Amino acid sequence: MMDLLIAAAIFAFGIFAGSIGAMLGLGGGVLMIVFYILALDLPAHQAVALSLLAVIASSSMGGSVYIRDKMTNLKLAMILETCTVTGAVMGALIAVILPVSAIQLLLGAVLIYASATMIKGVKSEGVAAAPTGGLTVKGEYNDECTGERVCYSAIRMKLGLVLSLIAGCVSGIVGIGGGVIMVPIMNLTMKIPMKAAAATSNFMVGVTAAASAFVYLNQGYVDLNLAVPSVLGIMLGAYAGTRIMGKVKSITLRRLLGFVLIFFALILFMKASGVLTW
Amino acid sequence: MVEVEAIISWILRLGVLASAALMIIGLFAGPSVIWMGVLVLALTPFIRVLMTGICFLGQKETSYFLIALYVMLVLVISYVLSA
Repeated sequence: MMDLLIAAAIFAFGIFAGSIGAMLGLGGGVLMIVFYILALDLPAHQAVALSLLAVIASSSMGGSVYIRDKMTNLKLAMILETCTVTGAVMGALIAVILPVSAIQLLLGAVLIYASATMIKGVKSEGVAAAPTGGLTVKGEYNDECTGERVCYSAIRMKLGLVLSLIAGCVSGIVGIGGGVIMVPIMNLTMKIPMKAAAATSNFMVGVTAAASAFVYLNQGYVDLNLAVPSVLGIMLGAYAGTRIMGKVKSITLRRLLGFVLIFFALILFMKASGVLTW
Repeated sequence: MVEVEAIISWILRLGVLASAALMIIGLFAGPSVIWMGVLVLALTPFIRVLMTGICFLGQKETSYFLIALYVMLVLVISYVLSA
């Protein structure tokens, strides 16, 4: 009976985390880790293993809808992926020689800054900004909410690539998925409209999660009984998230992400001070 | 010609649905079937990167094929390093 209750709780939380993750392009892994550790008292390595599967589920389910609806910018995702995966490997290698808690505090502070920019925000997003020359990636999608065709060009590609490398590196060091860093980089720095940034980031997070997931699978850290409600809940939530995202205004998504970033910053501060460990 | 996006969407959907089906069947058939569901899920992003590369090669977009190849290579390196 207790097992069924726990499975139901995981399933329900999975729906919540999956919908937030797919809607904002974050994957939802950190939400799941915090739930597993704080609510279910799971050991950290088991919580991380389950959350990596959750991120793959959310990214694949959300990605299949977003890419069909042309919300995902495939070429941009592939270009940025080269930097985030390289950064992730570099991060894992240099984590041993760096003061991890200082980096967690620094990233927390950066997220608070990004959050303030997101919440304060501009009233409407500048689209079709002129690229500054060199490598450019364009994109367009239909905004279901406004009925408008949104056309855009990514600006500051070189800076975006460097920041993506740093983002991959930092997420490799602090153990927080790339989505929470990549969406602000794409939206605030490269001026990709919020919905395209979220869909593109959602698409990217699955690959980095899969690279780490196999290590945990090999070690036998995946509790199969907990994996089923977690993955199924996340899939359902991610599908719902993609539907909600289409109908919500971009500015509302930006503000919601702004508040979620504050939550992530708090988690990072708790990790830095040793209250949370994974 | 079928768009790359349509093929990737189809691969991702297939991976997700196959994994979900195996997990649900596994609740009755036993943990080895759940395990297969977990494996299918974990492999889905790799197959996605691989197929993206192949699709771009088919469209003669060599630079994006090389990008996909590079991502696959780094993923394999990261797996070897962490294992």
